[in-house]
Amino acid sequence: MSIDFEEKAQVTSEQPRKKRRKIKIGHFAVNAWLIFWAVLSVIPMLWLVLAPSKTDREVSYKNPLSFASFHGYIRAWKNLQDFNSGVLAHWVINSVTYNLAIVLIASITASLAGFVISASRIRFKKAFLISTLIMMLVPPVALVIPLFIEMNKVNLIDNPWSVILISSLYPFGAFLSYIYYSNTIPPEIYESARLDGCSDFSLYSRIAFPLSYPLLALLAFFAFVGNWGNYFMPYIMLPSPEHYTLPVGLGALFFSTPAINPGNGATSVPILKPEIALAGVLVAVPVMIVFLISQKRLIRGMLAGSIKE
Amino acid sequence: MLSPYLLLLFLFGVLPLIMAIINVPSKSPSNPNGGWHVFKIVLHDFRLVPAMWHVLGFMALFVPLMIFFVLAMSLMLDVDAAPWKKWVRLAYIVPACVSGSVAVLLWYVLLEPTLSPFKGVMHWFGITQATQIWKTSNLTYILVFMAFFSLAGQWILIQFGSLQSISHEILEAARVDGCSQFQLATKIKLPLIRKYVIYMGVLVFAGGLQIFVEPQLLNSSVYHGIAQQWSFDQLSYSLAFDNGNFGEASALSLMLLVPSLIGALLVIFKTDMFEDVNFKSPKKLRKEALKREAVNA
Repeated sequence: MSIDFEEKAQVTSEQPRKKRRKIKIGHFAVNAWLIFWAVLSVIPMLWLVLAPSKTDREVSYKNPLSFASFHGYIRAWKNLQDFNSGVLAHWVINSVTYNLAIVLIASITASLAGFVISASRIRFKKAFLISTLIMMLVPPVALVIPLFIEMNKVNLIDNPWSVILISSLYPFGAFLSYIYYSNTIPPEIYESARLDGCSDFSLYSRIAFPLSYPLLALLAFFAFVGNWGNYFMPYIMLPSPEHYTLPVGLGALFFSTPAINPGNGATSVPILKPEIALAGVLVAVPVMIVFLISQKRLIRGMLAGSIKE
Repeated sequence: MLSPYLLLLFLFGVLPLIMAIINVPSKSPSNPNGGWHVFKIVLHDFRLVPAMWHVLGFMALFVPLMIFFVLAMSLMLDVDAAPWKKWVRLAYIVPACVSGSVAVLLWYVLLEPTLSPFKGVMHWFGITQATQIWKTSNLTYILVFMAFFSLAGQWILIQFGSLQSISHEILEAARVDGCSQFQLATKIKLPLIRKYVIYMGVLVFAGGLQIFVEPQLLNSSVYHGIAQQWSFDQLSYSLAFDNGNFGEASALSLMLLVPSLIGALLVIFKTDMFEDVNFKSPKKLRKEALKREAVNA
């Protein structure tokens, strides 16, 4: 009897140990997979950033993730600058100015709209909110052909204002502002300010605006990230190379370079793989920097304030 | 104060739809007399069925892969709050910076056996030439990988964020009751973030249906002819800009808008994703307040 009891005691003490070992192995496997995916996520960007440091030959034959020299970046930049009489400078300036205008117009209109909806007693609030939510959930690509027809009717094709104005419609921003103002400013404040004779505009400028800096930063962040890499809209609306944005210009570089299309004849300026990679860096790195700085904002913003952290 | 936004909403949200509807029955090379039967012409276009199969094949792989992978990864990230996971999360956001033309450039490199950072693995599998990978029959898989790799990271972070909204008391109570990590994930966490999963599902579905930039760039700039009118949006683009059939292009755009609209309405009205949104008019709110006061009295 006593031996039997001892055996049982041994078995029961071994069970949690086995279970603990299993959990430890499970934990290790999960963490290893998470790290593996993180490494996999970074490798392509690493290649992109390192490729311009090499010559075209080195890009093919050297270790893909090796660094050659800083001189490589300067050489690739000079070649890009010489491409089509310096059209790259136009693309950079276009991307910066279009995005600046979009971020400004989109953030201001969206924040004003969100404020009015949360603070004022307006009619058709329901219709307004539903149409904003629909616009937020329907992908912008769906409306590109109808928008082209509209812009064509008002002769705005090949005019940067077509892209700036269309991209300034920012339903996600209006919704985010509505949630922000509803959650941060109690309606009683508006009521008492109105009793003191405050108009809607002075309510916004004196009460809401000073409390809106975090919101405005969030609106600018999403407007920038959503539009900097946009390809389809400027591709359709702005056919002249001098109006291209950087992403569209990068597409044009693909098309014209013999590095990717050996069928194309050599260009007057050597636009090869390092130059294309540097153009890719110019498109991707600004967004990456903004993303890395504002990771938390992205998560909260994408869920439109529905998460209480 | 509302008018600047309302003006933009009308000009670039509502008016294009009206213009598209007006434009549908206009005269075009394939519809010389004009008329609404252009919808029928589009449906009989020999390029529509192949495009439909391509996009359906793409969606059948892309949407479930995204949802399953993103949920699995975000749940794994949420197992514990180890400090090193902050760096892992930062790494996951990196591919989100690569979209459109940069994504095409990177995938051209990644799948080119002479350039790829993974060329060792590719050679090990016997892939030494680009033509072994870049063919029309492989395009669905390539585009699924491209879209998946660009989008998965940011959705992992977003769903990880949604998991943070679950109250610690609920999780602690489940742990005390003897829930394992797997049970905690499947029986407690997943049901509690259901609305965010549906939200993701609709956005991923609507975005996938409108795939354009990647096949268009691959076809026009990298491997000519590999993805000719491969997707619906490419067909719509080709109808408008290659054939000058704006009526047909508008009809196809309107048809494609329907599933996206249904998805949007489904999220708005059939989930509690936007439960905090107050759709009621001020009049109704005042009436309700009066009623409540009367009941309390």
